[in-house]
Amino acid sequence: MSTIEAKTRVVIASLVVIAVVLAAAGLLQYRSANPQPWTEAEVAILRSLWIGSLPPLPADPTNAVADNPTAAEFGHRLFFDPRLSGTGGISCSTCHQPIRRFTDGLAKGQAIGTSKRNTRSIVGVAYSPWLYWDGRRDSLWSQALSPLEDPVEHGGNREQYAQFVAADPTYRASYESVFGEFPNLAKGDAVSRVFSNIGKAIAAYERLLLPGPSRFDAYVDAVMAGDVAAQRSAFSADEINGLRLFIGEAACTQCHNGPLFTNHEFHNTGVLAFPGEVPDKGRVLGAREVLSDPFNCLGNYSDDVDKNCAELEFARTGPELIGAMRTPSLRNLENTGPFMHKGQLTSLAEVLRHYNDAPPSMIGHSEAKPLQLNKRELRQLEAFLETLAAPLATAEKWLAPPATNVATNTNEE
Amino acid sequence: MMLSALRLVLVACMMLAQNAHAHGGVVEEEDLCVIKVNYLRGHFKIYQPLTDGHKEFCEDLPNATESVFVMEYLHDGLANASVDFRIIRDVTGKGRFARWEDIAALEDLDSATVFYQAPAIEPDVLTVIHDFAEDGNYIGIVTANVDGAEQIYRAVFPFEVGFIGLGYWPVFIVLLIAIQIQYLIMSGRIARWRNQRKVPGPKAKIVTLLIVIFVPMLSMNDADAESGQEWVSERAIYQLRFESSLEPIEINQMHSWLLYVSADGKPVSGATISVVGGMPAHDHGLPTRPRITEELGQGAYRLEGMRFHMSGVWEVSINIEANGKTDTVVIALTV
Repeated sequence: MSTIEAKTRVVIASLVVIAVVLAAAGLLQYRSANPQPWTEAEVAILRSLWIGSLPPLPADPTNAVADNPTAAEFGHRLFFDPRLSGTGGISCSTCHQPIRRFTDGLAKGQAIGTSKRNTRSIVGVAYSPWLYWDGRRDSLWSQALSPLEDPVEHGGNREQYAQFVAADPTYRASYESVFGEFPNLAKGDAVSRVFSNIGKAIAAYERLLLPGPSRFDAYVDAVMAGDVAAQRSAFSADEINGLRLFIGEAACTQCHNGPLFTNHEFHNTGVLAFPGEVPDKGRVLGAREVLSDPFNCLGNYSDDVDKNCAELEFARTGPELIGAMRTPSLRNLENTGPFMHKGQLTSLAEVLRHYNDAPPSMIGHSEAKPLQLNKRELRQLEAFLETLAAPLATAEKWLAPPATNVATNTNEE
Repeated sequence: MMLSALRLVLVACMMLAQNAHAHGGVVEEEDLCVIKVNYLRGHFKIYQPLTDGHKEFCEDLPNATESVFVMEYLHDGLANASVDFRIIRDVTGKGRFARWEDIAALEDLDSATVFYQAPAIEPDVLTVIHDFAEDGNYIGIVTANVDGAEQIYRAVFPFEVGFIGLGYWPVFIVLLIAIQIQYLIMSGRIARWRNQRKVPGPKAKIVTLLIVIFVPMLSMNDADAESGQEWVSERAIYQLRFESSLEPIEINQMHSWLLYVSADGKPVSGATISVVGGMPAHDHGLPTRPRITEELGQGAYRLEGMRFHMSGVWEVSINIEANGKTDTVVIALTV
């Protein structure tokens, strides 16, 4: 073999290698610019997650003033009023801060003391049949009552709150315009009646807090319209892949389904107990508590005369719900960490790693199965989740404390 | 190695000496840690979340740190029992052979106690947390008082904290694996194995493709339940049709079904019907507890409280009991 021949071979081999590398790079470039189109079934799933699929707010027959605008104004003032507490320093907005999508950026709520779980967002929560991580309340208004009397949260009591509304001329007038004549608090269960109405006014306000269309929704608009250019401007290749994983291999839509990315149900996914605590039993306890709550759908303070309480009536419990927590919405995760029921995981990346590993649960049985995704895929999922951030579909005036000066109130009345 | 061998002998002795377990204890049974509180059995496990995350321990614990004891009930008796939980330093001098008699003989149980949780009924699962201050030998004592009866059942389980039972074993194992790999490379087995792995030919590819395309289609057809379709019970006693108030059935919506039950083509009235359901692929049941709310006559029954909370294949089992005959209809449907 001559040296010239050998050299030619080396050159040819090198050229072949370069050609292959260039072809591969070109193919990758082409594929990322032209991702595979969605199948009909996939488009149906995208549509089901799209904000346009969100039905009108369900009626709440247990709260006669749920959609009463005057009640919402009243509730708005109560929501931001720290006088609604044992110390005069805690309002609903202490933990549910509008700038953080009505969460607080802490692992666990911090008011007079530390509450037992992570503060959930209340945006879109009017769609859920259950409230709290363990579903221990069955309406927005009965939920709103429970922190008011919790010694580590607002730390007051219903007697105090009823007297407060009675004594404040503005609040008393608002109360009477919504609920009728203010009762004699010494009579019968008038205190509890006024207390439940405070919850109903706050609920009327909370029903206005709704998610708005996000970049993801713009992308689905473009997919449904077949507008390739609009799809490209809405989503990067990584975000598209993240979405593909979300509805496919990563099986996120098993629980995070529908336009709010939640099925409002309870699942044990094996999150480690909070340091210093035994594992949280979750729904098994919540299911018992909601049935004995005097302010539940079947109770005396529910405005539903027919007591049409299918959720309570058919509620189930059992060992399967040991350690199960209510699926949170994935819309607007931005600025809402730490995550999970006790804020055990600080970032979305940690949450995704948890689901990728899906370790067995300390108590009960985890429904999560290991996903075996690689790091790049996990990053793509995270990129996709970030596309769900959007301004709320709620007028600005509801997202800040109301102007509670006397002049405004007089004008209203 | 000495330590492991010693442990083996000890475990063997304990198994032979049934006496040692007559009063209960924690033993490994078919890879499960089972605690026996007399005839009541529970699955017992311990976690050290701060140091070992989700890793589950059975008896001995590697670190003196925060430890979570979990007892899941294998017998309902425990769920209704008032249970207390005590951990003492092992001052009996009996080590792994400590029994309740030895503990009862102690003059001052309280001074040896490092943790005590007062009796309480925990209907779902018993969980206890204790932060061990130091390594050493400890004894756990679970006491169950069933239905407030005079009979009190106990389980006594000695364990060690700061346990390093593996000794030099991991080093030996790594060495053994290294030697084996060295042997495989030298003997050329890996090269031969790589040659055997051939890329599947075009025929195989087509077959795979066909399977990939057609199998899901077939199974989809199988699983799709149509309203009005007739289902036959497992032992062919009953026929059943159902009509859903929600058509097509969508996720996350409470709805009702009308069930039409017949036997030999004749409507069945007065039947007792119970319904359970779940997703076989996901280890969970229905999110609700649906039930028959009304018998409408002519073999028709109203089933309320139906809701599915995930897309996919569900199974709904409808148990029918009428005129002393019981049978179950299993409806598979894709939501």
